[in-house]
Amino acid sequence: MGTDREGGLRRPVRAAVYAVCGAVLLAGCATMPDSGGMRDVESTSRRDTEVRVFAMPPREGAPPAEILQGFLEALTSDDPQYATARQYLTEPAARRWRPESSTTVLADGPGIQVDRTTRNVDTDADDYTFILTGSKVARVDEQQAYTPVTGRYSQPVRLTRDRKSKQWRIDVLPQGVVMGQSDFQRNYMSVNKYYFASDTGAGVPETAVADPVYVRRRVDAMTQMVRSLLAGPTNWLAPAVRSSFPAGTALRDGVAELTPDDQNKLTVPLNGRASKVGREKCWEMATQLLFTLQDLTPTVDTVALQRADGSTLCTLGEDRAVTVARRGPVKRPEYLYFIDDEGRLVRLPGTGTTAEPVPGALGEGVQRFGSAAVSWDEHTAAGVGSDGKSLFVGSLVTGGALEPPVLRSNGVTETDRLTAPSWDARGDLWVADRDPARPRLLMLEQGGGEPIDVRVPGLKGRVDAVRVAADGVRIALVVQAEDGHKSLLIGRIERDGSVGDRPEVSVMGLRSATPELEDVTAMSWAGDSRLVVAGREQGGVQAMRYVQVDGSTPEGPPPAALTGVQSIAASEDDRLPLVAYSSEDGIVRLPSGAQWQKVIKEGRAPVYPG
Amino acid sequence: MSEDRAASTPGGTGTRAGRPVGRTAPRSRWGCLLDGGLLHGGVQGSPVLRLFLRWVRRPLLPVIRLWRRNIQLRVVVTTLLMSLGVVLLLGFVVIGQVRNGLLDAKVKASQSQATGGFAVAKQRADEAAAATGDAASSADGRPSPNVIQWMSDLVSSLSSGGQGAFDVVTLPAGDDSRGGRGPRASGGVDPMASVPEDLRARINNSMVAVQRYTRIVYKDSDKDPQPALVIGKQINDPNGDPYQLYYLFPLTQEEKSLSLVKGTLATAGLFVVVLLGAIAWLVVRQVVTPVRMAAGVAERLSAGRLQERMKVTGEDDIARLGEAFNKMAQNLQLKIQQLEDLSRMQRRFVSDVSHELRTPLTTVRMAADVIHEARENFDPVTARSAELLADQLDRFEALLSDLLEISRFDAGAAALEAEPIDLREVVHRVVSGAEPLAERKGTRIRVVGDQQPIVAEADARRVERILRNLVVNAVEHGEGKDVIVKLAAAGGAVAIAVRDYGVGLKPGEATRVFNRFWRADPARARTTGGTGLGLSIALEDARLHGGWLQAWGEPGGGSQFRLTLPRTADEPLRGSPIPLEPKDSRRNRGLEKNAGSSGGGEKRATVPMQATGERTAATRDPIASRPAAAVPAADPTALPGNGARVVPRPGADARRQEDASAVETVKSESEGSARPEGAGARDVTQQGEARRGH
Repeated sequence: MGTDREGGLRRPVRAAVYAVCGAVLLAGCATMPDSGGMRDVESTSRRDTEVRVFAMPPREGAPPAEILQGFLEALTSDDPQYATARQYLTEPAARRWRPESSTTVLADGPGIQVDRTTRNVDTDADDYTFILTGSKVARVDEQQAYTPVTGRYSQPVRLTRDRKSKQWRIDVLPQGVVMGQSDFQRNYMSVNKYYFASDTGAGVPETAVADPVYVRRRVDAMTQMVRSLLAGPTNWLAPAVRSSFPAGTALRDGVAELTPDDQNKLTVPLNGRASKVGREKCWEMATQLLFTLQDLTPTVDTVALQRADGSTLCTLGEDRAVTVARRGPVKRPEYLYFIDDEGRLVRLPGTGTTAEPVPGALGEGVQRFGSAAVSWDEHTAAGVGSDGKSLFVGSLVTGGALEPPVLRSNGVTETDRLTAPSWDARGDLWVADRDPARPRLLMLEQGGGEPIDVRVPGLKGRVDAVRVAADGVRIALVVQAEDGHKSLLIGRIERDGSVGDRPEVSVMGLRSATPELEDVTAMSWAGDSRLVVAGREQGGVQAMRYVQVDGSTPEGPPPAALTGVQSIAASEDDRLPLVAYSSEDGIVRLPSGAQWQKVIKEGRAPVYPG
Repeated sequence: MSEDRAASTPGGTGTRAGRPVGRTAPRSRWGCLLDGGLLHGGVQGSPVLRLFLRWVRRPLLPVIRLWRRNIQLRVVVTTLLMSLGVVLLLGFVVIGQVRNGLLDAKVKASQSQATGGFAVAKQRADEAAAATGDAASSADGRPSPNVIQWMSDLVSSLSSGGQGAFDVVTLPAGDDSRGGRGPRASGGVDPMASVPEDLRARINNSMVAVQRYTRIVYKDSDKDPQPALVIGKQINDPNGDPYQLYYLFPLTQEEKSLSLVKGTLATAGLFVVVLLGAIAWLVVRQVVTPVRMAAGVAERLSAGRLQERMKVTGEDDIARLGEAFNKMAQNLQLKIQQLEDLSRMQRRFVSDVSHELRTPLTTVRMAADVIHEARENFDPVTARSAELLADQLDRFEALLSDLLEISRFDAGAAALEAEPIDLREVVHRVVSGAEPLAERKGTRIRVVGDQQPIVAEADARRVERILRNLVVNAVEHGEGKDVIVKLAAAGGAVAIAVRDYGVGLKPGEATRVFNRFWRADPARARTTGGTGLGLSIALEDARLHGGWLQAWGEPGGGSQFRLTLPRTADEPLRGSPIPLEPKDSRRNRGLEKNAGSSGGGEKRATVPMQATGERTAATRDPIASRPAAAVPAADPTALPGNGARVVPRPGADARRQEDASAVETVKSESEGSARPEGAGARDVTQQGEARRGH
């Protein structure tokens, strides 16, 4: 009896427990979850909104104008070998025509003009000549290097009527491809291929130097890039870099297309020239490949090289590559440096907002500074006095008095004296003296010693600003021409042995990176082959923009607008925000994906190490 | 019969039950088909068809049987099908409405977007034309505006407005690429495959925007094609040449919504169907379980287990049914109990009366003997009375002893004292005992088949009583013709048949002869003073042996009574060595005349063939013919039960004899065998009472 009653009591209790459990479960289903396990987010492939042009073969009996239009249109399509475009040519012309020899970019695309001088009165004539016109913007040469050009484009195109088929076909045409600027941007993209600086100094790992080239975006860019890398650096960069690939190395015959496998590993079969290289060399080769491919598709993280017989030469992963060679800055900058109100060199850690004077003499305020530069290792700093007369170098270690200036300028006014200094990766200090009487570009080995006059062949005007790239091979100069216009020039540093015990240093191959800017006020390196520039177009207002070292405009939006920019500091490490000094707002910072933020009002001349 | 046997030889016995069913049903069905057309007769096709049908039907048969027998299955399946139908219908309606709603919204939004896009394109063309027009007027060479880049830029800017929401495609107007303008597409769309041909043709000929549903095909990507709405219009480019501009709106989101609705509906529908099925199952189970229980209880009740009752729980309708059922069973049991008590009482009464009458009868007998001895001293009238008195006393005594005997049977007190005996001796004893009567009648009694000893385990006294009864009856009704007593033994059975050629039996009388106090002709004089219980007692004796006693007769053709006994006691009989209907019956003789020399009647078997009546029965009922064919010696008329405990039911037997007039048999029917012993006994008693009352 007692057990019965117990059971009778227990049963409703159990039923109630079940009901409550069920209700809790159901309630869990009926509300949005506020906790739970973790799950990987599938990366949704970025939607390709690019416009694609589909080339059409010529229509039967099409008139000459239509043939020419169709041909020009086919040039803008994704046709891998321009097979459709070739159908518009006569057979001999198709054999002669080499589309890969060059690409001419016209501002508005080619205009079609009938050549009246050769046009026959007889409309039934069997040839017809047009002239393609336009204003040139740039030219991509056979090495796929981009060069800004200017001037009018005018090339004749002759069409003839085939005697048998009675169809109009293009008979004479300029070599290469011609297209408008927007079509060019749609079809081509800039990719850096990497070589090693030929002269990096002792004890420093190999430094990778970016060499931007343009490849067709949708025509197997990866294979194009590998071929281009194997073919060697572009002419402009070649004197300063070396390729670790033995001369003559190419892809094995018959390799059509390279695609990474599921593990993001790309296998590159090479020809016999590379079969005998050693392990270290192979790693260097793989590093070059990996850096290059990562610039194209960041997902590739392993490269395997194959000998001609198919055996693996070596396999290199991303983690190993960074030990083989250095790309970008030596180390990630820890601080942002600038000059405060009292002329001291102060530093700002990471994303902080309170500045502290740097340790050492430069932070003590004994000497008021107008601009400064901190070496890549952040152990040494150089400052130019606020009057621009003297250049001081000091260690960033507590204690020690300010040493006497290592350089003095004899300029009359403040703007005719020293520019802001810049350190290169070897620890040499670069600075320009703007003295109109004796404008010169100077280099101080290891920040001291007798300044070395750097030869700059072809320089017209005086150097107004200096910035050495992290790779130590390329240098950006703002040059003020006689007419007062300031333009940005990129040169490569060549150290030609030494005269006596003094090294001979020269900056060669100066070329304009901003042909369309009239007045460059500030610039800084902001990537392997990218600079951020504040400047003014002809008749325009000051604006900030990114430029490629080859003078092209990189993809992506320019930084948000900011007025009154006096100086810019950017790092080649793109995780660090862009910092600028504006005459209105003081020092401001642009974190990625946000608007300008004020950092500190009282300060100027912000710099990252370098 | 011979056909059946030939057919049965190759196949097993077991398949025979299915074959007639399988053969007749498809024939009728395929018959129409064959008659209607191609294969008249269908001699070639029909076996294949039959095989195929059998092959198809065989696995289905259990299902069909289950379907027919199981009401629960039927109800659940019907419910499932109906609910499935409703759910499907509902699903179609709801999905259709959702689809239309989604599409309407999408189409409206798309149309406004596309219209805006067309306006923008037109405006840009006008602007470009104006700009180049100015430039052209100043330049001398009349350069045509650069449509190539303009068009690409247009597509790019139009498509940048709706990343993922739509794609833009331009196609040259007309069937050819006039002006050399190739198709352009954003978002990796394959323009030629995605824009249908008929839409292009339509756009070509009209100046208004046209829409159509299509399927977007993507080029050089692993993206699956997806349904889309395409809106297109023909617009002029800066040169004034027409081109076609299309907006493609993928319906991916709508399809996702729709598939969500579909999934929800399907899930809900599935649950509803399952729920309805479960409900039906539960309800039917609630109803069917008591019904099944009641059926089982009723079966057991009818099998005589009157104490069976249904379990009743609750107070619902089913409980009321159970209660009513139980009440009915209770009443039945009570009534049956009462009737059994009554019948027992009556039997006792008869037995007691017989006993009680004996004592005064002895006294009367002695007195009558004295009077009879002295009858010569009486005057003739008195002397005659004394003789009559003595005769009737003899009859009275015989009647009393028969009554006692039969009441012993009824009470189940009769005991069989079986021992192996040679039946020939019994027969000879009976025949010699009947000789005087036969001589008086002028009848000769012949004994056939007594060359070999016929030994059976039997009670000699009872067998002799049976035979005496039969022989005396035969002589009495033989009208002076010969009486043949035939002996035979075969297959574990022995038989003695007594054949006379007297008036015979009318149809229906063959079973009634065994009824108590039955008389063929009530008016006929009973010269030998039979009690009317002789055949009844003989029948009980035969049953006591586990044997059969059966009669056959035809009007004017005489009759034959056959006693079949098992060779060893307690061995069930499966047939009789002597056919019930003799070969020299009128019918057989007539048949032989008609059949000529076909020789069907004479069989080589020692066990004679069954009579014509059996053959008609066999053709009428194919199921029953199976055991007959398997054991040819068996007599079907006695198969289902053990004759020892079977009492014939007059009504049922009469009906049967009208059907097969030639076979007069005491058939123990299944319901008779299933009836409890007590009830049967009481039945007989009642009959006896009734008859006595008349």
